[in-house]
Amino acid sequence: MSQRVFITGYGIITSLGKNAAENLQSLIDRKAGYGALEVLDTIHRATLHACEVKITDRQLFESLNIATDTGYTRTTLLGLTALMEAIGMAGLTEQEVRNSGLLSATTNGGIREFEKYYYELMDPAQRGDFVRFTDTANPGEHCERLADFVGIKKYIGTISTACSSSANTLMQGAQLIRHKKLDRVICGGAEALSKFTVNGFNSLMILDTEHCRPFDSTRKGLNLGEGAAYIVLESEQEVERSGRKPIAELKGYGNANDAFHQTASSPDGKGAFIAMEQALAMAGIQPSAVNYINAHGTATENNDLSEGLGIQRLFDNHVPDFSSTKPYTGHTLAAAGSVEAIYCIMALQHQMIWPNLNFENAMPELSITPVQQLKRNASLTNVLSNSFGFGGNTSSLLLASV
Amino acid sequence: MTGQPVYYINGIGILSPQKTFDNDVFLAELSSYHENVLTCVTPEFKNYINPIQLRRLSRMLRIGLTAATICLRDAKVQTPQGIITGTGYGFLDETAKFLRELLEQHEKQLTPTYFMQSTYNALSGLIALSVKCMGYNNAYVSRGLAFENVLDDAMLKLIETPDANYLVGAFDEAAEVQFLASTRASHFKTEQIHNLDLFNTTTKGSIQGEGAAFFMLSGKASDTTWCALHDMQFVYNPVDIAEVKTSIASFLKKNSISIQDIDLWIDGASGDIEHDRMMNDLAASTFKDIFHTRFKHLCGESCTASSFALWLGASILRHQQVPVAIKVHTEKHPAQLNTILIVNQYMNKNFSFFLLKQV
Repeated sequence: MSQRVFITGYGIITSLGKNAAENLQSLIDRKAGYGALEVLDTIHRATLHACEVKITDRQLFESLNIATDTGYTRTTLLGLTALMEAIGMAGLTEQEVRNSGLLSATTNGGIREFEKYYYELMDPAQRGDFVRFTDTANPGEHCERLADFVGIKKYIGTISTACSSSANTLMQGAQLIRHKKLDRVICGGAEALSKFTVNGFNSLMILDTEHCRPFDSTRKGLNLGEGAAYIVLESEQEVERSGRKPIAELKGYGNANDAFHQTASSPDGKGAFIAMEQALAMAGIQPSAVNYINAHGTATENNDLSEGLGIQRLFDNHVPDFSSTKPYTGHTLAAAGSVEAIYCIMALQHQMIWPNLNFENAMPELSITPVQQLKRNASLTNVLSNSFGFGGNTSSLLLASV
Repeated sequence: MTGQPVYYINGIGILSPQKTFDNDVFLAELSSYHENVLTCVTPEFKNYINPIQLRRLSRMLRIGLTAATICLRDAKVQTPQGIITGTGYGFLDETAKFLRELLEQHEKQLTPTYFMQSTYNALSGLIALSVKCMGYNNAYVSRGLAFENVLDDAMLKLIETPDANYLVGAFDEAAEVQFLASTRASHFKTEQIHNLDLFNTTTKGSIQGEGAAFFMLSGKASDTTWCALHDMQFVYNPVDIAEVKTSIASFLKKNSISIQDIDLWIDGASGDIEHDRMMNDLAASTFKDIFHTRFKHLCGESCTASSFALWLGASILRHQQVPVAIKVHTEKHPAQLNTILIVNQYMNKNFSFFLLKQV
């Protein structure tokens, strides 16, 4: 028998705030985290605004009560902040944490520190404090740090499928639970802004120099963001045993590949369509039962067209309310899937639909427009969260109220 | 459910520092290295990748796509149901190229090629694109457990759809950046050694290796089956050797076999005097009566070296032959070669066990 998979806790840090409560308040208040880069040292500070967590590494070390000479990268520090909140919200005991799995996502781990100390690290004759960052070009490094810090032993894994990474950690976590390999898995992702990322996306010419406008006909690209978000998934049996109150259910998921282009989505959104269709089939619900879609909606020309057409194809003339929260948080890359899954859980908890900021002009190719004002008393039961990425990865999660 | 599900390896494609790309030949000649970096012996890429595509691909993408193509051909599968890859450091050469440009040009006038090809899922996406596979696609980057995560994922999927074919694989490149950065931390030996003498050294560090290995995994055997993969399990960060031994015991018990049922074991010693302590203990205790083989002198150490071991085990079962180079002792190999256990370790922190059987 397959186990149902419940959510019993979550933790989040983004440019909207350093915990769940602050994120929720910013969503309600239409307060985006967009602005000039202040913490990251880059020549693009003033020109390529982003959604940065305005907390320095030193402050993160202090709030986590970790010595600053331990070699934790910003990715790890953001990750730990969210992970600790998730464990706290679920109320897990030390023993329960130990017997949990941890699946974490990142697009480039500690590249921010690796790039900072690159020349020192490349010279084997040099000695100094930088050696603590020796292995930070390894994407799995942050996950082992997180696991070791909180004492997770049972199972670990790191996923990197570009912008769909943390959605895939939730799928794999659910799969491990459904097949009774684990009772509980903490899934999510952590992403710190770096010169590498900012310049990489800039070289692809998909960054908007203004605040991004998902699903708007004048959209010019995405804004980058940073943050971390983790979700505690538990089996039905474990929820019964512990008496913990589930917050929501991860009812279905789908993963497909567009198989169209190395970095672009197919123009007809076939991959997006397949992923959403699979998620609904697994949840055993019809498209008409979906009340809200948190779209990937990066505001690149390519994504929004492809995703929009994929949505229209699946939902035909009955497209539910949808919005992209990317103008709030920027594109937090590997963390985006879990950040937005948490926004969907919050939507279910508070029966609210988050507005798609900055939308003004409908896209001529689409017959649908996103939700622009905060909706209260929204009667939400089933919500979809989409995450798509380079390499053709498309992932979709179906979250349901309990 | 009665009994454990069984998985079949129905095709393999592997490029490594040994000449392994030809599945009909099993370590007939050995490549030896006098530097502490072992790099892939490659075939003519144009036999596997079309020329237009070939020009645009980095060295590691060529190696990875070639290994995947050999595997698909070997398994006689055109389009698998899903593609899952694992890597420790990914395309670190491309990452470093973009990083150096960025630093040298002070973040100005950068081109995206290196950035695009440094994405960890570049290979799984490329294979999907090449064989038009719109099915499941995932990429694990879990240091010394990446390949193990890949197998876990595919094995769970095959419980639900045993007839499906999952193309699973691992890759890592011997990136100079990693070598330079971690030599200081004694991940690699500072004295020059000959790779075939790796296990005669008594110093810290290993030798750097690389490779790409792909396997066609299914819940159903076919006429191209190499062997059965009965189970795989990993242990993260064991506190001591006792924990490793307990884990091995419960792994064998779960699969209803005893130590004596194992005809041959493959150990993941890396030639590092400290990291090999647990392996040496196991060799002297738990497995002291079991035919003993090693492999990292042939392929070097990497996060996903266990994929080389899986190929090695599958090859021993298929060819019913144990190459001299991997034998720890000189005795004749056992009369029966039916059951093989792989015990790998990476940095003494990531341990994994694979149970293979002849079909």
